[in-house]
Amino acid sequence: MASWFENVFEFLFKYRPLLFERGTLSFGASWVVLVASVVAVVAAVPLLLRYRDVRGKSSARDRVVLTVLRTAVLLLVLFCLFRPALVLSTVVPQRSFVGILLDDSRSMQIADVDEQPRGAFIQETFGPESSVLARALADKFMLRFFRFSESAERLNDPAGLSFAGSRTHLSRALQRSTDELSNVPLAGLVVISDGADNSNAAVSDTLLDLQARKVPVYTVGLGRERFTRDIEVTRVEAPRTVLAGSSLVVEVTISQRGFDGETVRLDVEDNGRIVNSRDVTLTAEAEATTVRIHFTAADAGARVFVFKVTPEEGEMVTQNNERHQLIHVEDERPKILYFEGEPRFELKFIRRAVSDDENLQLVCLQRTAENKFLRLDVDDPEELSSGFPKTREELFRYRGIILGSVEASYFTHDQLRMISDFVSQRGGGLLTLGGRLSFSEGGYAGTPVAEVLPIVLEPMQERSEAEELAGPAFFAGLSVKPTPFGTTHPVTQFGADTDASTARWATMPPLSTLNVVERVKPGATTLLTGSGPEVDEQPVLVFQRYGRGRSAALTINDSWQWQMHHDIPLEDMTHELFWRKLLRWLVSYVPAQVTVTTEKHRYAPGENVSVRAEVDDDRFLKVNNARVTGSVRTPSGERFDIPMEWTVDKDGEYQGNFLPSEKGIYEIDVTAAREGVELGAATGYTESQELDDEYFQAEMRAPLMQRIASETGGRFYTRETVDRLPEDMSYTEGGTTIRERRDLWDMPIVFFLLVGLVGSEWGYRKLRGLA
Amino acid sequence: MALQKRWKLSSAVAVVLAVGLGFVCFAATARPPVATPEPPQSTDAQQSIFTLPEALSDQARRRPIAVPNVPREFYFTRAAYTGYYRFRDFRSWSVDFPKADRQFLIGLRRLTNLDAYEAENAVPLTDPDLNKYPFLYTVEVGYMALSEAEVVGLRRYLHAGGFLVIDDFWGSFEWENFQNQLQRILPGYPIVDLPLDHPIFNCFYNVQEIVQVPNVGQGMQGGPTWESDGYYPAVKGVFDEQGRLMVVINWNTDLGDAWEWAENPYYPLKFSTYAYQMGVNFIIYAMSH
Repeated sequence: MASWFENVFEFLFKYRPLLFERGTLSFGASWVVLVASVVAVVAAVPLLLRYRDVRGKSSARDRVVLTVLRTAVLLLVLFCLFRPALVLSTVVPQRSFVGILLDDSRSMQIADVDEQPRGAFIQETFGPESSVLARALADKFMLRFFRFSESAERLNDPAGLSFAGSRTHLSRALQRSTDELSNVPLAGLVVISDGADNSNAAVSDTLLDLQARKVPVYTVGLGRERFTRDIEVTRVEAPRTVLAGSSLVVEVTISQRGFDGETVRLDVEDNGRIVNSRDVTLTAEAEATTVRIHFTAADAGARVFVFKVTPEEGEMVTQNNERHQLIHVEDERPKILYFEGEPRFELKFIRRAVSDDENLQLVCLQRTAENKFLRLDVDDPEELSSGFPKTREELFRYRGIILGSVEASYFTHDQLRMISDFVSQRGGGLLTLGGRLSFSEGGYAGTPVAEVLPIVLEPMQERSEAEELAGPAFFAGLSVKPTPFGTTHPVTQFGADTDASTARWATMPPLSTLNVVERVKPGATTLLTGSGPEVDEQPVLVFQRYGRGRSAALTINDSWQWQMHHDIPLEDMTHELFWRKLLRWLVSYVPAQVTVTTEKHRYAPGENVSVRAEVDDDRFLKVNNARVTGSVRTPSGERFDIPMEWTVDKDGEYQGNFLPSEKGIYEIDVTAAREGVELGAATGYTESQELDDEYFQAEMRAPLMQRIASETGGRFYTRETVDRLPEDMSYTEGGTTIRERRDLWDMPIVFFLLVGLVGSEWGYRKLRGLA
Repeated sequence: MALQKRWKLSSAVAVVLAVGLGFVCFAATARPPVATPEPPQSTDAQQSIFTLPEALSDQARRRPIAVPNVPREFYFTRAAYTGYYRFRDFRSWSVDFPKADRQFLIGLRRLTNLDAYEAENAVPLTDPDLNKYPFLYTVEVGYMALSEAEVVGLRRYLHAGGFLVIDDFWGSFEWENFQNQLQRILPGYPIVDLPLDHPIFNCFYNVQEIVQVPNVGQGMQGGPTWESDGYYPAVKGVFDEQGRLMVVINWNTDLGDAWEWAENPYYPLKFSTYAYQMGVNFIIYAMSH
């Protein structure tokens, strides 16, 4: 159905706007008319000059108005005498081809208009009883049908669509159909779809190609641009790998239509068991509501967590109320090296806090005298036997480092650089603790370690030995509280929700600091701050990503008071939980020498799974000449090997592929060796399931459809306007066409203008008494 | 008759003397427990570190104690408890106090890189600020007679992670009293011998023999090293449910005297060396385990 604007335009200008867009203006006047016109113009000049000098009742303004009106009339007549015409390129009937691309994905089953599925339009139009539209197209063009979802293929019978495709890949469909029709005169493509592309592929390159081939694409959008009522779990931000027993705080984004201000329930399920729930109040429609939900990944292995909003009455799509997330819960025991430069109670209480944690190994090295060290929880007699590691191989065995109160001058420059590289290159976690020999007070300003830290270290004035003996340069009591981000961070959230966490922190006894820390680095995140009688607010727990790893600074001196303090009940586990969560978080995402990942955590059966492995040596330098073997275990327990080759694009990266045929979780084991020496092994998981992506962001995406049409010279239609499609398609540069002239001198607008101008002159003269 | 009269007089004098001596002995040894010091009100984070606890004895208060004006990592903290033994200002907990504490701290600061406060720090067991000092030393527990508040305070301290070193008590009589007190503090927790391969004997110094350290008099005179019937020294311990050592018991030995008189040229080096080594080991262990 045409818009009122188009109707008015067509009435005045004889043709629809599209024809003026497509056509070019030309004039068909003979040379006699041209000569006569020139003579008339030449003759008119002295007449005008003469008219200017005429004196009578008229004023100068009257003469100007009358001259303009009369001249306009003459020019209009002259325009008509020139025989203006619109030259159009139109197709020769049945001599050009049109590719019709029909969306066969699942989103076409959504019944969001008149309780009819979107796909019903396709069935009605191209089904056994062809519609007017189909007949009109078939009269003008040779039609070639394609079905598309993830891929595109020729379709002989449009009635054979099943609307079961698990993805919509528009650019691939356009490319595939254009390629197939490249040898025939192609008048254009018609895409009938909801435009809900979920391939994450850019269409720009395809559109450029279509422009170059001069193939206009006409898009027909099906479905609603906005659902009336719907809730969607839009995004779940969860780690792919965590340590068993770790607390997780996962960010869930919920979008809604028609549920402003309403409260819904969000559940987290671990293999069918609800592990946490919370109520979420949805914000205004234009905004997505992001909440953080806390739960524990208790059981090791590949676990599928479901984040689910209970369906509400009247929702248009309920399949988008849940998202699945595959998380590899590792049952490992990563080693953390805790180096303390002097005997401190922090070490004792941190050890106690994590001693029961089967997924953490805290190896302690405590300097108890000038050159005397106490080693605790080492694996063998050689470990740390000569103090803090002196080689990268020795240091990079650990996944995390805690630096306590130890002065920078204890380390050699190489060791300081190694600590920095431990974070940036090895991808390890570094935690620095407050103390009389930490941070600026420990002389770290200007060292490679200072670069890694998330806080700004100001150079300190040199202190004499007597001053050092007299005590620390700075001391302040601090009441610690979380920042808004800290109340929901996995390390600092205590309790089921933000309020409970904030309340818990409010009861914690004050601690102390010996370090002046005023500024955090840009990009660093502060989780805890502290303030007291001696100091204004200063950061207490800050972290930042640095290179491949992360670094954190805990500026307090005596967190053990959270365990020992008289006001803390004996059964209180805050101190233990804080340290376990902090250390687990510190080493949670630290890569091993060999890592394996897949691009996504979920694939459809038959979809290519691209496996990537990164291989480092024991100094964490990339290895390009390793022999990397991949072995895949299917859900039914069968095993097959996949070849893995160096990608060449990136150092140390190897790639392999396989096609999952079963539904379930696939285990991918990768081993790497170089010159007969094993470099390491890694295990990853991916899930093969029918994808439900089609139900997410499933509203008709008009902007994308309009863009495809406008950039290729086509037009965008809806169900209401699609009846114009056959006619519009006939005016095209593509296919077999002829040039056609359409006269314009007899446009109604010309007549109305002539009448209007002459009438205006007459009226003006009557008004001014000049008639 | 005269003889009989003289005998009667002698008997009467003997009875009077015996009764008088008995009274003196009773007064000296079996004096009823002193009133439990009132626990001070909980103070803010640092106050108690810098101020002398109110509950300390007059003797301790009269002595010049340096009040720390800077925070330190470690305070050699002595438990001020209620005991049977009291003579004028002298209480059982304050034996060798504060000289032993100070001299030991001199050695401790020299031998390790521990940031230790230079002077003594005595804290009543009922003081909430006791929990700010996770290391606690106490002596003469054979005369310990804890009030219920002290029992609760010390139990809470140990369960929270505090570490207690007991020293200078001898023989089975004192052991029995100590055992009774410990059962009040930690009922059901067994006392076990610490073998020489326990980390407490080698976490700093490698101690290969448990030495009986005599009191200063016997040590300098070369007399016997035992007292009462405490012929054999022992280092025992009490562990919590997780197998963590909470209490170390030095029985039939007197490390405190060895620290106190280590500067005396007549005091045998063997005893003071052992006492310092064990003292350092206790603290390093307490700060790491």
